[in-house]
Amino acid sequence: MKPMRFPPPQRHRTALFRAPVAPALIVAAAALTLVFISPAAAQDNVSKSEADAKLRYCEVCHGAAAQGFHGYYPIPRLAGQPTEYLKNQLQAFVEHRRTSNIMFNVGHVLSPAMINALTTDFNQLNPKPLGGAPKQDLDEGKKIFDNGVAGTNVPPCASCHGPQAKGNGPFPRLAGQLYDYITNKLTNWDKERGQNPSSPDTSAVMQPIAHSLTQPQIKAVAAYLSYLE
Amino acid sequence: MRALKPLRIEGTPEARLRPAIWKLTDVRLRVGLAALVATLFFVGAVSAQHRIGPSGDIAAKISYCKDCHGVSAQGYNGYFPIPRLAGQQPVYLQNQLRAFIEHRRTNNIMFNVAHSLSPAMVDALATHFASLHPPPIGGAPRQKVATGRKIFEDGMPEVNIAACAACHGPDATGSGQIPRLAGQLYPYLIKTLNNWDKERGRNPTVPDASAIMSPVAHSLNRSQIEAVAAFVSTLR
Repeated sequence: MKPMRFPPPQRHRTALFRAPVAPALIVAAAALTLVFISPAAAQDNVSKSEADAKLRYCEVCHGAAAQGFHGYYPIPRLAGQPTEYLKNQLQAFVEHRRTSNIMFNVGHVLSPAMINALTTDFNQLNPKPLGGAPKQDLDEGKKIFDNGVAGTNVPPCASCHGPQAKGNGPFPRLAGQLYDYITNKLTNWDKERGQNPSSPDTSAVMQPIAHSLTQPQIKAVAAYLSYLE
Repeated sequence: MRALKPLRIEGTPEARLRPAIWKLTDVRLRVGLAALVATLFFVGAVSAQHRIGPSGDIAAKISYCKDCHGVSAQGYNGYFPIPRLAGQQPVYLQNQLRAFIEHRRTNNIMFNVAHSLSPAMVDALATHFASLHPPPIGGAPRQKVATGRKIFEDGMPEVNIAACAACHGPDATGSGQIPRLAGQLYPYLIKTLNNWDKERGRNPTVPDASAIMSPVAHSLNRSQIEAVAAFVSTLR
């Protein structure tokens, strides 16, 4: 009986796979050493194929171009979001300051390099809005967005979210966001955001505004925003 | 038709109180009554096409569907696993019937079933099936259920598998175009997930909602499919 050879003979492979064992082991050892002595360097990059696979996974729920999707819950548009806002939200999910079991699971396995890649990709997508909101109060919604609500704590949304609701830095893009997603969030602000009172976050800014808006006002402004491109 | 002749008790108080219409020996009354009956029959026959609800044609069609899909539409393990329709989302059922008709979803039996259904009949069937709530058939291997629950509720983010609950709901009851999975047959779910691209979205020039599930079905390996199928097949 022939003694077993390691590696086994590769009769049908190309020459690449017939490299001698010893140099291959040395190269592998060197690579592993580099990986382990420079952890920061290892996380600076994420391969394009990994980033693409992760993006496609996000798009299963968030839509083929991250335009959002009506799943069991309304799943928000991520396309065109400022990267800083997206990173803040992923961080909030991981730290349970924002409650979502599904997004906690999504978020806590992402490396910083992967988060950089994903948020950049989402920011650059620009599909048309999903649409579908009722259209009778769009003028009222625009008024609230541009001017706020006189005599209340509601400033013009445009002052932070931008005149075209495209957002900036920590302020999210609202243009083209799903109608029922916006109405759900504004209605349930306190139940979902800033859930760690000992660790207040930027969501506190919106709290008095979400509280002051009435349901008809929320629906009007949400409908208006949902059609913006 | 022999004219009705009430029993006459001459001269009694009862005789005087009998309604005059009983005296059908008059020819004009008989002709008038026949014309009325004929009109009602004609009107009834014309409107039968649009009648939905407890009427002969829809009941017969439901009974015909249940021959294969189970006496309460709970599904049946025939030569092929025949899916549960009970409690299914009406929009989803309507979409599938349309997909069968347009050969975007390939199944010869269901093509033949579907293409003779009027839109009103499709609506009535979908509404009826959505209202049924028999218990699940069950029978999946129990040791896979816990893993299936984890995949269903949390997904597997390390390997890019989305949580089914995000779209199908925490109880797998679905919503709108997204199907209910709760109580679906274990072998049906396995076959469907394994063969997604061979059965759905079969017209590349007319992409449909089935495209959403294609990457999901691809990302699951065999044992994950069996686990998730086992879990949802137990749900009520």
